Amino acid sequence: MQKRAIALLAAAFLAPMLFGCTNKEDKNPPAVRFAPFGEGYATKPDFAQLEHQFPLSVEELYKITPKNLALLNQEEVDQIYARLSAGPIPDGPYEGDLFFPKGGSGKLRLSEIAGGGLRGLLVNVAGTKLDLIGETLWKGKVFYRQDRLLRNRIEDLSALKAAGLVEESAETPLQKITVKGKDQWLLFPARLYCGQSLLDGRRESIIIDYAFTDQLPGYRKMPDMMGGRDGFAIRDEIRMVRPGLYLGRAYIDRSFVVNFVLYNDEVAEAAKAEFQKTGAVQEDCWGGTQARAVLTATK
Amino acid sequence: MRRSLFFIAPVIVAGVLALGLGANRPSAQPAAPLAAAAPAEAPAPGATPASRPLHAQDIPYYEACAREGLNASECAGRLIWFKATAGNDRFHTYVFQQRVGVLIDWFRVLRADQHGDRFKAWGAINDPACCVPGSDNCPAKSLDETYGFEWCPGDEELLKYVGKTGYQDPACDFQDAPLKDGDPHGPKDQRQTACDLKFGTSTGALGIRKFPNPRFNREQWVALNGSAGTWDGYSRKIAAAGGSGEPAKSRLLDGSVEPPFLIGTSCGSCHISFDPLNPPDDPANPKWENIKGLLGNQYTRISEIMVSGMATNTLEWQMFAHARPGASDTSAIPTDQVNNPGTINPLINIAQRPVFANEAVLKWRKTTSCPEPKDEASCWCEPGREGKCWKKSLEKETVHHILKGGEDSIGALEAIQRVYFNIGSCSEQCWVNHLSDLRQVDPQQRGFGQTPFNIGQCRRDCPNFRAIEDRLPNILDFFLSAEAHATDLQAARETMKQRANPAAIYGFKELVADLEKEFGKNSVVRGEKVFTENCARCHSSEPEAAQLETGTAVNLDYRKVNETSRIRNDWLGNEKPTPVSEVGTFRCRALHSNHMAGHVWQEYGSETLRAQPRDPNIKEPADGGRGYYRNISLLNLWAFAPFMHNNALGPEICGNPEHPENDFYAQRPRYVDGSNVKLLPPEQQPGCVAYDPSVEGRFKLYKMSMEELLNPAKRIPKVTLLNQDVSLRVGPRLWDGTDKEKLLGFQLTIPSEIDGRGVTAGTLGNFQHKAFVVDLVQSKFKPEELQARLAKQYGAEEGAKIAGDLKAITGEIASQPNGLVEALKKRPYLVKQVYSSCTAEVENEGHRFGEDLPESDKKALIAFLATL
Repeated sequence: MQKRAIALLAAAFLAPMLFGCTNKEDKNPPAVRFAPFGEGYATKPDFAQLEHQFPLSVEELYKITPKNLALLNQEEVDQIYARLSAGPIPDGPYEGDLFFPKGGSGKLRLSEIAGGGLRGLLVNVAGTKLDLIGETLWKGKVFYRQDRLLRNRIEDLSALKAAGLVEESAETPLQKITVKGKDQWLLFPARLYCGQSLLDGRRESIIIDYAFTDQLPGYRKMPDMMGGRDGFAIRDEIRMVRPGLYLGRAYIDRSFVVNFVLYNDEVAEAAKAEFQKTGAVQEDCWGGTQARAVLTATK
Repeated sequence: MRRSLFFIAPVIVAGVLALGLGANRPSAQPAAPLAAAAPAEAPAPGATPASRPLHAQDIPYYEACAREGLNASECAGRLIWFKATAGNDRFHTYVFQQRVGVLIDWFRVLRADQHGDRFKAWGAINDPACCVPGSDNCPAKSLDETYGFEWCPGDEELLKYVGKTGYQDPACDFQDAPLKDGDPHGPKDQRQTACDLKFGTSTGALGIRKFPNPRFNREQWVALNGSAGTWDGYSRKIAAAGGSGEPAKSRLLDGSVEPPFLIGTSCGSCHISFDPLNPPDDPANPKWENIKGLLGNQYTRISEIMVSGMATNTLEWQMFAHARPGASDTSAIPTDQVNNPGTINPLINIAQRPVFANEAVLKWRKTTSCPEPKDEASCWCEPGREGKCWKKSLEKETVHHILKGGEDSIGALEAIQRVYFNIGSCSEQCWVNHLSDLRQVDPQQRGFGQTPFNIGQCRRDCPNFRAIEDRLPNILDFFLSAEAHATDLQAARETMKQRANPAAIYGFKELVADLEKEFGKNSVVRGEKVFTENCARCHSSEPEAAQLETGTAVNLDYRKVNETSRIRNDWLGNEKPTPVSEVGTFRCRALHSNHMAGHVWQEYGSETLRAQPRDPNIKEPADGGRGYYRNISLLNLWAFAPFMHNNALGPEICGNPEHPENDFYAQRPRYVDGSNVKLLPPEQQPGCVAYDPSVEGRFKLYKMSMEELLNPAKRIPKVTLLNQDVSLRVGPRLWDGTDKEKLLGFQLTIPSEIDGRGVTAGTLGNFQHKAFVVDLVQSKFKPEELQARLAKQYGAEEGAKIAGDLKAITGEIASQPNGLVEALKKRPYLVKQVYSSCTAEVENEGHRFGEDLPESDKKALIAFLATL
């Protein structure tokens, strides 16, 4: 039983650490256009047609905030994600938030389909609990663009340490970063590259891949291996909403688990005027061949 | 010596003149270095062929066109068929690996140091123009220069761009045939630039092409692999931590590693074959004159190629790597969860292939303008072009029935275009978003099931689609050309005799004499009568043959030559659909569902097809026009054994490669004890017949296969079994907390044997796990609703039993998360029957027609069919 409890605890800690946290403050979802859809999978609009008919304007992109995305249901989040491009591979520290898929009822989708009664078959941790833990532990990510590497920022290691999941010694001290005056630990290294989106194949996303975390500088077996191919096999993908704000999707062993956002206010502010004017940014990844409309106030 | 061909420029002139491809084209310079043939700059759109340089890699293709007597359009179509990847290099390098989750170890297949074993292992046909670095006259001296691959014409240019941008594809200099007269989009040439055909250069295997990867980093590559000339570090197996029995991984899984080449495939990767009339002396080193483009590679192990980077105890390897040589499951990637490999159809005498009038076809047709108000869903004009428009409408048409059940049925051009999706073209832009994601079990989410591919969207968004579409008439002309003409045994034997004695004659008379020597006096004549009485009602395309259905005697002339096409009139197959329960062969292929309404290839199936009544004699889901096999052609049967849509009827064939890890038949013998579906012990397994594309090798295989066809009682059942336990992870795993190398959680091991019976590959592939999970959830929350539905489908008693078992399972797995396999093992009928898309097991059963004929008539049939 103790093993089991620790296992559950570990899973609950890890997933939000590597993903991203929700915000309940914003009461209104972003006012962007969506294509109509129904309940079943077959009623969801094709992304190519969605983008052709309802391209997101720069104005709409600025209505999206790290906070209000969490108020959308999953199909709406998907429709936003599909209309984004990868943008530039970020550099430096980004704050993070995560939010779980919601169904049409407004409840967490996992709750809708499992109702807590099929926990053995589906994901046996409740999203709301993850949500809470994510907010407590995981603070965001640090991108090392030049090296195509990423590490996660953890503010409080006490819970992980209590569970015996952090290896530390004088020879292998934990790496630390100070963000806005607060010390944060850097764990869970991952590779960064341009690759396939598991939701929308029409253009690449920026991939944050933990599969070969053990081959990256700064790797420590515990707890980092839990994100790797022999652990939860976590793979994130992100696309840029606008400079300084990215929308992400996290997968465990290729199964979608949670949405997250990454944001850096300094980057956002510095690039805002130019992006609002042109709607264009550096694209590091393959952008596909479907024509994309750039809708700015000046065009 | 092979290489010298490509330095002999005068043949270009001869080829070009023979084809009438343009007298103004500059003649090639004698003995020009290959590099000089590379284009210096991209041709302007619409440039005339005369302004484009001729690439050295194209020379043998033009020679082949001259040899086959092809005109300009046919020749253009041939070159596209052999070389055009239409952008699928991204599919075979990124999409399949990352999105679909299946790894290809291209180096394992294409490594130059295993040139001699490639045909035996993979059935791939080596490119006569390529050479192993370091061999005599090979421009590349070391494997480091070519990253371990063979050197092929065009590589002097391509290799400069590995790790760099700026490569101009040789397709940019493609010599387009003149636009057809009367093309609604003409007379101005508005075809999509030929650059989007994307040829690249050969990899050493015909139909498999390579492109320089601009993202490649040589320094990192050498650090990973030890040298530039090997991919060993990339593909080396890395054991799973903890030794849990999980499949080993490799860096092929690591999307951050960029290989030196992107690999694409052309249609030729499966359709290029050895010429039955002129087979190679050494199959590992064929000459160009031994190669044909339309007959289909009977030896290809394309399925094994596609999973060559997976460990053998993965679900993916077990699911893919079971097609027989010459077959592939084209609905494995756009999966319909029906395990159903089918052969690559030989394309023979296409001009005489039956067509069907008045079929209801909803499709896009060329037009010159769209009415106001504009509605792109039904009429669309390509921006920047003049009157290059398409209109979508439902009309009656005369169409072919293509694929095993006639599923591709909206027109020959569209059927050809769809081949490009089978090989991965436009996957990102047009179709991966429409596929079913096997991990998505929530019916409200995208990916739970397929959605229909949209031809109009693909045309708009994928330039490679347009590049192919604009040249489909050329490819169809190639299909109709002399290269697809029948290859008769008589002509093949004559060719063989003339190799020894150019003056030798072996005519029809000599063939009949030899056959009668073997099969009895008058066997050919008697066989024709037996054929008419027993076979021609399905296997003749003569209209009079339809009268045989009513027992009316008719006279059919199977050798009559059509005055227009100048080939034999009778296609030896009427192409009509026959219910699968009537033909009785392995039915899974007939249950293929991708052309049903709402499924991925809906737009390629006619309304007439989908309106076919279901076969009442099969229990599995068989609606939406499924459940039929078309009555195929028996032309040149002597050269295309073994038989049936899955190549299962006749001996198993094998390559016996030197490298045991690539000996796929040895890893998966097929003969079973019919009583328990377990493999026969090795001493009872009939041996496989080694690949032998020679004339007499083909004929021998034909005779063995015909014996099995006509004597079903003697067939030993064949079943494709899991050849080892399969491990897979479902959902997240949990940390044990004490043993730091061990992780617990949702790892499932599917045994290769349950209760003393073998588990077929199809058991897994056909398991409708999504329907199962949905019902499982419903059994928890809406049990009455579920029971009512099951009762309606299976009857009250059976429905109640299923519902009860589902409810019990929910209880079992709630208390024991890893107990799903155990729960199902206790109730195997759920997997094998209730939630199976196809329950058939024996792959060489059925088509028992003729089993009651006297032995002499069976021999006569074998003799007669060998003459056509």
